[in-house]
Amino acid sequence: MSITASHISKTFGDFAALDKVSLHVPAGKLVALLGPSGSGKTTLLRIIAGLEMADEGSGHILFGNEDVSLLPPGKRGVGFVFQHYALFRHLSVAENIAFGLRIRKGPERPSKATITSRVQELLALVQLEHLGKRYPTQLSGGQRQRVALARALAVQPKVLLLDEPFGALDAKVRRDLRRWLRNFHDGIHITTLFVTHDQEEALEIADDVVILNSGRVEQVGSPQEVYDRPATPFVHKFLGNVNQILLPWEGIIQGTKVPVEENVAFVRPHDIELLRPETAQPGALATVLDLHAAGPIAKIAAKRTDGRGIIDIELPRAYFDQLNLREGDTILLRARLEPVCQTILVTKPPMT
Amino acid sequence: MKTKNKKSSETGFFATLFTVSNSGEPQARRDPTWMRILLSIIAFSFLFGFLFVPLIAVFSEALSNGWRVYCALFIQEDALAALRLSLLTAAIAVPANVLFGVAAAWAITKFDFKGKSILVTLIDLPFAISPVIAGLVFVLIFGRHGWLPEQELGNFLAPLAALSRKAADAGFFEDIFRALTSWLDEPRIIFGVPGIVLATIFVSFPFVARELVPLMQSQGRDEEYAAITLGANGWQTFWRVTLPNIKWGLFYGIILCNARAMGEFGAVSVVSGKIRSETNTLPLHVEILYNEYNSAAAFAVASLLAMLAIVTLGLKSFVEWKTTRT
Ligand SMILES: Nc1ncnc2c1ncn2[C@@H]1O[C@H](COP(=O)(O)OP(=O)(O)O)[C@@H](O)[C@H]1O
Ligand SMILES: [Mg+2]
Repeated sequence: MSITASHISKTFGDFAALDKVSLHVPAGKLVALLGPSGSGKTTLLRIIAGLEMADEGSGHILFGNEDVSLLPPGKRGVGFVFQHYALFRHLSVAENIAFGLRIRKGPERPSKATITSRVQELLALVQLEHLGKRYPTQLSGGQRQRVALARALAVQPKVLLLDEPFGALDAKVRRDLRRWLRNFHDGIHITTLFVTHDQEEALEIADDVVILNSGRVEQVGSPQEVYDRPATPFVHKFLGNVNQILLPWEGIIQGTKVPVEENVAFVRPHDIELLRPETAQPGALATVLDLHAAGPIAKIAAKRTDGRGIIDIELPRAYFDQLNLREGDTILLRARLEPVCQTILVTKPPMT
Repeated sequence: MKTKNKKSSETGFFATLFTVSNSGEPQARRDPTWMRILLSIIAFSFLFGFLFVPLIAVFSEALSNGWRVYCALFIQEDALAALRLSLLTAAIAVPANVLFGVAAAWAITKFDFKGKSILVTLIDLPFAISPVIAGLVFVLIFGRHGWLPEQELGNFLAPLAALSRKAADAGFFEDIFRALTSWLDEPRIIFGVPGIVLATIFVSFPFVARELVPLMQSQGRDEEYAAITLGANGWQTFWRVTLPNIKWGLFYGIILCNARAMGEFGAVSVVSGKIRSETNTLPLHVEILYNEYNSAAAFAVASLLAMLAIVTLGLKSFVEWKTTRT
């Protein structure tokens, strides 16, 4: 079942945490809501779940075609997974998972045997078959988060909402778990909105990415689209490294007509071409400051000889080795012209 | 630049304080032995002088005429009545304050509302105020020249009295409603049991809330939110999630609240008329006996209160042991 949020605003006092935010999660897809800390991700997720109310008259939340804006959280059919797990600490793993079924009343409540077998099924689904009797404090962070997921799924929610589910885990476990989540999602295809501030995580596992900044949607698109064609300077800077090139950039950037009054261009380090100065091609001269050649990508920092700042360049290792560069060498730089890689964007001066 | 310098000199200071010495033990842990012994001696002699000696004195004085006499003192009607009244007071005040404390702590930690900080401050009021004043407040309200003198209260309660009389006349729980009717006809608060209960509720109401607020704050609201998204209603969330999480803190608050309710002297002394067998609680009874130079009896009753204190401390350490273990 799809999730649609339309024109959602939320103010705390006179601070606008969300400003007419709209997003759509197609049925069965995994969408990442990506943004820096404080951008309003949790607030939006909580509004979708019904744990928080959007500003009066500001917009609607639809699940499928049904407007759920006025339903209480328990009636919306959402599974919510919290950053810090929020497992019931006084209940065992199995009891945690059974909670949502046990509290049902009357005919809606499954029999004891049904609950037990359902709990076993869910434990198997999150690969924790043998840990049903443990208590949350006896589990690792990754295991706890999988229990939280199983608990959320036990009530067969229509949509799954995950608030930085791996935020409290260390890097290695995080990477393993996000692959696991992607595979898991491919298996059950539940409409999922996944909040994260980690761009790598979002780009790696999401079908679509919604980028949020200061309570506003900056861009929506597939991971490749948002990475290759950032719609705003914010997205440019937020997704990966980027050079901010100040005027005059004649020489570095060709073939683009640049309005004179605007003076910053964004080019990713791997979109900068590096040439020997003796090649008589247009470009900007720079001096090599720093070389890092550990790993498959070589990283070079070079200072423009016209004093207009430092430019980062990334090269494949093999090409770098051929160049045989030293610190202090003079090089010629220019932005590549291939249409996809050429990510030039012109804006007003950045505020610093 | 200036602040940076200061910071680095600070880290330097701490660095020297905690540098690992040649023996491999941090210097901070190598306080001179004599210092540790001296501090321990001071602490223990304080405890001994101010806690153990009085406690022993109470029991030895109480038992000075032998066990037989000691036990006989409790069969006295006055002592028994005082004990009964103290238990009754605690039996009303403690549940009332549990209800209030849990509700206040829940409201403070799980909801945002206007006037929250005022509520937090008000909870501490009984700690800040002298118990004598707490008692006087009730005299001021219900006393002869107060805001709501008892006669006027009687007028207010007249419809209730009529209702209660009807119930009694109809033979419905006749004894209870007869007693209630006669009280409603001529309500007595000051110099009566209601005043004692009110004053006790007042002085003991911070304990439960004070215990729960920090605990519930540290636990956050996520578990409740999780329960709600899973379909739990407010009641289920409270009974199945909130209460189990706070049970030891609550228990701790209850035993402290009970100790205060049973032991309160000042506030109760002001509102009680100190009528023997009627409005005398255990602490008041101790004072009366003592003023009558009946010190063996006074200490015998005091030993009861001392035992209550010991039981309270025992339960308190049990709760602490229980909560640190998990
Ligand atoms: N209950 C609240 N009261 C006041 N401000 C809040 C409240 N909840 C969130 N905010 C503010 O709203 C902004 C967005 O918060 P949040 O949605 O938690 O961001 P994110 O999850 O993206 O880090 C933050 O600046 C935060 O301080
Ligand atoms: Mg957040």
